[in-house]
Amino acid sequence: MSECRRTIDRLPSYVDGLLPADEHADVDHHLNACPPCRHLAALEQGGHAVLRQQSAQLRSESLPPGLRSRCEALAREHAAAKSPRVGALLTNWRSMVPTFLGAIFLVFFASALLSIATRRSDAVLAAQLTADHSKCFLMSAASSPADARDVERMLVQRFGWSIHVPPSSPADGVELIGARRCLYADGLIPHVMYRVNGQDLSLYVLNGVTRKATDLVTLGHRSQIWTRNAKTYVLVSSSMVEGLPDATRYMMNEAQ
Amino acid sequence: MLRRRPEPGPDSFSDEVLRHLDALYGTAVRLTRNRADAEDLVQDTVVKALRFESRFERGTNLKAWLFTILHNTWRNRIRDSARQTVDVDSTRIDELAAQQGGPIELETPERVLLRESLGQEVQAALDALPDAFRQAVWLRDVEEFSYAEIARMLNVPIGTVMSRISRGRRMLFDALQKQDKNSPVGATK
Repeated sequence: MSECRRTIDRLPSYVDGLLPADEHADVDHHLNACPPCRHLAALEQGGHAVLRQQSAQLRSESLPPGLRSRCEALAREHAAAKSPRVGALLTNWRSMVPTFLGAIFLVFFASALLSIATRRSDAVLAAQLTADHSKCFLMSAASSPADARDVERMLVQRFGWSIHVPPSSPADGVELIGARRCLYADGLIPHVMYRVNGQDLSLYVLNGVTRKATDLVTLGHRSQIWTRNAKTYVLVSSSMVEGLPDATRYMMNEAQ
Repeated sequence: MLRRRPEPGPDSFSDEVLRHLDALYGTAVRLTRNRADAEDLVQDTVVKALRFESRFERGTNLKAWLFTILHNTWRNRIRDSARQTVDVDSTRIDELAAQQGGPIELETPERVLLRESLGQEVQAALDALPDAFRQAVWLRDVEEFSYAEIARMLNVPIGTVMSRISRGRRMLFDALQKQDKNSPVGATK
């Protein structure tokens, strides 16, 4: 019986041709003498042969449309984020607009059908909103302070979104500069833009979506996600922003 | 010896990662049995691979490293969403294996391999395997990773990997033989 056990334990290596010659011969010897083990070996050999024969066909799943281009966009962002001087990230972004911004923009616009409001993972959501964060600040001319009521009114008039826009708060170093429609999730997400001590900060609001609160760093940016009253809020900023904890606390209190 | 990173733009690490997209997606489909989940999982894997580039040891197998991230991510996701992995019921599998040892007529592998509809049958039989066995046989016989690489991906000892490969192969072939016996043309001994 123990010889059967020993043989069965060695079947994968036997079938894969990985046993030393003497052990292979041992197994052969036992299989010749033991019909139950011979039966198991035949099954295993059969399963292995079928999978090897079919492996090319089994592997030939074609990629869904947009997956490759989205991953390529992530890779480009990654290459940009690896730039040697982190402090000069924004400058580098600006200088590289012609080379890769267009690609990112097109790719993500094309993939706007992505339903990130459903069950996309936090990391994917964060990566997509981080891409939007970087792109919108590059493209936006807005840099002067904006009035929260004006912004709220604009969001209602242009997009029909009634949300509370946290106003500027000098005490927390937070300055509201505008809002626009995020291009993700079929353009259904408001993107409110701030500066905190001179650096970019984005607030996204996903209406009717709940997620577990989390805080993660993706592509050099920090994404803080929380849910209140059936709305999910995502705060995206460079992880180097000075005074971020105060600004975050302020936003969480305001965005309820 | 220190290598200076190239300026943003063409990036060899990213290029290498993207080269494995097809394999990652094919495996993700088999792992999740759901194309939307697979797509999400692959994108998540790419994000993590890029973020943790510094943890990849140059000169080692990048594809195996990516597959490890893919499987870890999937395990975490299942745990997070409180979906239980199918527990491998060893006793039940042992019983199945014991039954297979009985006096039943065997189709030869050659006969099964000659079936015209084999591709679809194999896919269906693979998808019907318990998760743990499906992952193990896929990684070994389709993606051709070593036992040690698979052990790292699945986070189980090598002995467990070998036992899962063995049982997965047997269950798969057993299922295909049964299909053959049930089919009108499969009645010959």
